Amino acid sequence: MMHSETLIIAFFAACGAGILLSLALRPGRQALVLTALGCLAAIAAVVAGTHVLLTGEVFTQPLWSLPGLTMLTLRVDPLSGAFVLVTGLVLFPASIYASGELRRQSFSGRERVFTVMLLALYASVGLILIAGDALLFLLAWEVMSILCYLLVVTSREGDNGQVGAGYLLLAMSEAGTVAAALGFLLLGLGASSLEFEAVKSSASALGSTARWGVFLLTFFGFGVKAGLVPVNSWLQRAYVGAPRAFAPVLAGVTLNVGLYGILRVNADLLPAAQMGTGLVTLVVGTISALLGILYATTDNDLKAMLAHSSIENVGIVVVGFGAGMVFVATNHPVLAGIAFVAALYHMLNHSLYKALLFFGVGAVETQTGTRDIDQLGGLIKWMPLTAFAFLIGTLSIAALPPFNGFVSEWLTLQVMLRSAELSSIGAKIVFALCGAGLALTAALAVTCFVKVFAMSFLGMRRLDGELRVTEAAPRTLASMAILAVLCFALGVLPTYVIPMLDPASTQLAGASASETLVPPFFASAQGHGALPAGFVGEFHDLGAQVGETVLPGRGLVVLHRGGTQNPVVFAMSTSYMLLVLTGLLVLTWVVIRLWLTRARRRLRRERWDGGVRQLLPEMTYTATGFSNPVRVIFDAIFRPTTVEDTRETVAEHFRIAIRREKEHVHLVDRLVFQPVRAAALWFARALAAMHHGRINAYVTYAFLALLIVFAVLPTS
Amino acid sequence: MVEEWHCSFAGLIVEEGASAWQLRYAFYGEGAGSWVHVLVSAPLADKVFPSVVEWIHAADWHEREAEDMFGVRFEGHPHLGDFVLHDDVWQEGVEPMRHGFNAQAAMHNRRPNVDWRPRRIVQEPGAFIMPIGPKFSGITESVHFLLETVGEDVIRSSTRLFYKWRAVEKLAEGKTVEEGLLLAERFAATTAFAHGLAFCQGVESVCGVQVPPRARALRVLLAELERLRQHAGAIQEICESTALAVATSQAGLLEEELLRLSGELTGHRYLFGLLAPGGLLCDLPANACRGTLGRAQDILKRLNELERRLSVSSSFLDRIEDVGVIPAQTAKDYSLVGPVARASGLIRDLRRTLPYSGYAAFNFDVPSEREGDGYARLRMLFAESRQSVRIMEQVVTALTEGEVCRAVQYRSGAALGWAEAPRGATFHWVRLGEGGRIARYRIVTPSFTNWHSFHLAAEKFAFQDFPIILATFDLSVAENDR
Amino acid sequence: MSQWVFRGIRTGIRTTAYPRAAERAAGVTPGMPRGGDFGAAAPAIVARCLTGALDQAQGVISVDSRRCVHCYRCVRGIEQPLNWEPTYEWAAAAARPTQELGQPFRRSIHILVVDAGDCGACLNEVKQLNNPYYNMHRLGFFITPTPRHADVLLVVGPVTDQMRFALEKIHKAMPTPKRVIAVGACALSGGAFADSFVCANGVADVLPVDVAVPGNPPPPLAILHGLLVAVGRKASERLAPDEYQAAAQQ
Repeated sequence: MMHSETLIIAFFAACGAGILLSLALRPGRQALVLTALGCLAAIAAVVAGTHVLLTGEVFTQPLWSLPGLTMLTLRVDPLSGAFVLVTGLVLFPASIYASGELRRQSFSGRERVFTVMLLALYASVGLILIAGDALLFLLAWEVMSILCYLLVVTSREGDNGQVGAGYLLLAMSEAGTVAAALGFLLLGLGASSLEFEAVKSSASALGSTARWGVFLLTFFGFGVKAGLVPVNSWLQRAYVGAPRAFAPVLAGVTLNVGLYGILRVNADLLPAAQMGTGLVTLVVGTISALLGILYATTDNDLKAMLAHSSIENVGIVVVGFGAGMVFVATNHPVLAGIAFVAALYHMLNHSLYKALLFFGVGAVETQTGTRDIDQLGGLIKWMPLTAFAFLIGTLSIAALPPFNGFVSEWLTLQVMLRSAELSSIGAKIVFALCGAGLALTAALAVTCFVKVFAMSFLGMRRLDGELRVTEAAPRTLASMAILAVLCFALGVLPTYVIPMLDPASTQLAGASASETLVPPFFASAQGHGALPAGFVGEFHDLGAQVGETVLPGRGLVVLHRGGTQNPVVFAMSTSYMLLVLTGLLVLTWVVIRLWLTRARRRLRRERWDGGVRQLLPEMTYTATGFSNPVRVIFDAIFRPTTVEDTRETVAEHFRIAIRREKEHVHLVDRLVFQPVRAAALWFARALAAMHHGRINAYVTYAFLALLIVFAVLPTS
Repeated sequence: MVEEWHCSFAGLIVEEGASAWQLRYAFYGEGAGSWVHVLVSAPLADKVFPSVVEWIHAADWHEREAEDMFGVRFEGHPHLGDFVLHDDVWQEGVEPMRHGFNAQAAMHNRRPNVDWRPRRIVQEPGAFIMPIGPKFSGITESVHFLLETVGEDVIRSSTRLFYKWRAVEKLAEGKTVEEGLLLAERFAATTAFAHGLAFCQGVESVCGVQVPPRARALRVLLAELERLRQHAGAIQEICESTALAVATSQAGLLEEELLRLSGELTGHRYLFGLLAPGGLLCDLPANACRGTLGRAQDILKRLNELERRLSVSSSFLDRIEDVGVIPAQTAKDYSLVGPVARASGLIRDLRRTLPYSGYAAFNFDVPSEREGDGYARLRMLFAESRQSVRIMEQVVTALTEGEVCRAVQYRSGAALGWAEAPRGATFHWVRLGEGGRIARYRIVTPSFTNWHSFHLAAEKFAFQDFPIILATFDLSVAENDR
Repeated sequence: MSQWVFRGIRTGIRTTAYPRAAERAAGVTPGMPRGGDFGAAAPAIVARCLTGALDQAQGVISVDSRRCVHCYRCVRGIEQPLNWEPTYEWAAAAARPTQELGQPFRRSIHILVVDAGDCGACLNEVKQLNNPYYNMHRLGFFITPTPRHADVLLVVGPVTDQMRFALEKIHKAMPTPKRVIAVGACALSGGAFADSFVCANGVADVLPVDVAVPGNPPPPLAILHGLLVAVGRKASERLAPDEYQAAAQQ
């Protein structure tokens, strides 16, 4: 039985060794280093996280003390464990993929730098997740932010605006860090030191204004890294600018760190006492989800589309957080537990399928040289394995059973429906509206990803015929395969995942959710007696007791046990769904092939195209055409402006060209980012007016400052 | 000339003489008196002529057809080629209308262009072409539309015609006048009588034959009957395109009754086999004519009622008003003809401008509208039906006894015959050679003229409006393709 | 909206009783010439026909209905006109149908109408089948826009060169069992355009034809008869394949 500290040491040792080896070895060997040691670190993280979750052990390790400030501590509790597990699960295939990417042209000469920075990022993320006091946390956070910036800016994969994106990333990260730091300070105002344990015990004494202050500062401060709506302007640019090897880590690991920050402060250190903060979280989450998916549906750059989709998924996770916070505040611990489980599950799922999709997009970009969906098409013929793995990622992100996205989104929506148990009308209305918003998001997500998969991989090839497109590299395929299997497994076996995530949510909610979500088998009479009769009956009807003596764990049905009025509130089983689905498909195939059409010939003919002599790729639907209705309906949000609308004619009547181009500015950029930037520039210019180089003026400023200081300070 | 005398461009007639080309640009209009022909000649070896499309845009398709058929190049025309002879079927330089054309060899040595691509005018990210046809839904003629769009609206439409090209003009060369009349009636049989009439008048002009008055009057009666029936059919098409089922059935009833009426009066539902050079092939008894008139008046009453009902159906009007607008200037530029032109304010009717077959003796109005949208074109159909019955009444009351055919002595020469067909003005240029055989037969049909402008009507409207706009134009592909 | 409902109800039923009973209204059919014994006048009469539909042997004139284009020159403007019969049941089926449609298709089929260069009249007569007078839906005949759902391919026109590829493609795209009905003189023999270098001499040059409906244009009742023959609900005269093919290739 391993102790957590061993595993943590192993993790950091692997990262450290990797860094040293990268520096020591000559360029060209780093790929191996990355594969071996990066994967080793990831495995250590996975095992560590699992261990912590399974045992519920809380491990604290003081490091060294900074007098007057705090004791730098490490602390691993189930919440950290959950995030460490997710991080490890993503880092494993990401390391494999990144090492494959290192062999490309775009990296020549810089493999060393990249590997060092990447492994350092692993280490800094790990440190954030196991930090036990605010100072260590913030230090590690800073290091991570700067590493993110460096990794984005040093991309050499063509001009994707990485320099501008990097600056924006850095600026917003710093602003977020400052806000979060202020939030921590506010939180630790009455505490003896900045260690989390101390802060937690003193936090309950905070007044209402202070609570709101902490909430807003940390929610939007950490929300920058997570990509919540008012502060997400950097995300779509950074994802596009980031090198292909780094983008999955950006989406699957650093994004979660922002969510960790929000959870740590607002659900663990300072649990919600009023509904207000939870409701605000709900609303912000819903808006993020809606805006994210709207922009994803209408964007034709694969990476930008995935970036917007990340904003959407973060929105859904945050909605889960909000629901949890509301239920904690209104004293419904079990529901809060379900909400947090749903949110953590969705975060886990998002990391997995988003990384998978990024691998796929990276493969497409390297093979075809373009990320524009309107120029792709028919790739399934040349990249069938990539297409298959990408399809699994698409089905997962569109929340279709039997994949993992379905389980977490279904759970989130069910949690929203549980607002019926709240007493406040206002809260119920907010829940209802946000639930409706999530439903709309889900529908748009299906549209978006149908468009992405169909227009890129199916249909006719729009690429230049000369270009040879081949299957993705073996490492890419391996990393995609790992994640695809995980997506499937997490979808079909939710009853094993929920008890695993449960300790983390119990820590936040105060009650165990898996007791009600995945109730144990009961065969004996006394087991029956302890439960309401109605529930027992429905439990059996739902087939929840199937496999009682055979299957490990608690069965295959996820259900929510209610009270006497409503013994089973909701239930589903993706495992059964998979069986039924497969069974139906097989049965249909058997009936059609072996019975109905046994005497018939099957003819293969060209697609019907109206009788044209040749159906050309330009005569097939484009991604822009497919998503045009969405663009038109939500025109008020997009507000496209016409850049060009000209007609070129010859001899007055013969038109030879009609040129039209529209562009649009992101809603958040229009409403938030651009005004803030304008204000900042105005302020800077105003200040600059004071700096005109005349030394006399500066002396006057210094004198004035001294006067003020003397006036303000009490003379004692 | 087009501006000063308010002329319309009728057509370009290209003839390959023994040693020289003769290009004939025909114009007609009130200001000019009647006809103005501009002749251009050049030796056979020299095949390049200046293009007139900058001043007379309506000549565009005529020049393109001449280039495909004769190999005559028009300098300054921006887009020659791939018109009648599709580039993905025929190579350049086939020239089927030339005297020395060897059909067997040409069919045998074809070199289609397999890399043919449609011209893309729209340059917008994500634009694509929606192909419709040549076989598209419903009971429709074969024509290929290429609609450039980004998804909702049609930004630009282009039409690929001549899938139904039967080379009638080539086929007619060397045939007798009777065989030529057969071709004239059969190539666009929904308006067979009008085309046959134009052809006969052309031949009668060449041979200097005066058609007897009874024959002229009966020709008018039959032409108006055909107009009534064709308009009823067009109204039925428009109602069908907007999916107003009961109105479609009502109009369908009227069209079938008019077809049966035509069959009862003449023996054939489409009025085949009545015309002959010099008059009519057979006489129609007076009581039959009166009976026909009575039934036509009854049908007109029901047409009027249908119009009234349609004018208060708001869902129908929503779909047909303000769609497919052709402004008056466009109608002038393209020299449009028929109800389409008159609905846009270009008032041209050959029965009034260049009266033939005794139309000058009858009182009738030439209705017109100004909006140029689908509803205006529909109103035109109803208004013209009323005028047709009015003419028929006058014909029947004033019918005199007499012979219906005069013998024709064929001689060489060339002349233009014309008629106002239900779809618009049609011009048949007939040149007779030795032994009364046809040396050159050029047909300019109203559909050819009006198809030219159709792409403008379809632009900027949604896909759902496209079939409605098509129905309101009442265009015939067979008439265009010949 | 209600005005249309009442209008429709008040119009009543106008549908023809065919095929239960013969339709005798005036103007429903142009009729067809009928041959006979004309003795010495026969060659003159035969010479009147512009498409070669008449033939004579020892004064007995025979009519090839597939070539008749209803120019009426054999009955008008002539001293000894041919006889004329006001019939409309003209369809003939190939002696050995290429494919039996079978019992399931007897009561209802889906028809794909393809215009391979027709003049407009045949197509217009096919359109009349949907008007209240004929209402082919009551007989189970439906028009479909796609060959994938079609059982019967109805072709009008002499098959112009530039439509030939599309027609072949359409036929290939139809699943089996399928039948081809060629409607109109052009579709059977090229009609008035048989000599054109860009027209085939009818559909038989391109596709195997199962039912032939002559006429120029055949009235809706004749087309209806042809459809009923195609599904086996009406008997018809048979053509030997070589008799039919040979006639088309002249």
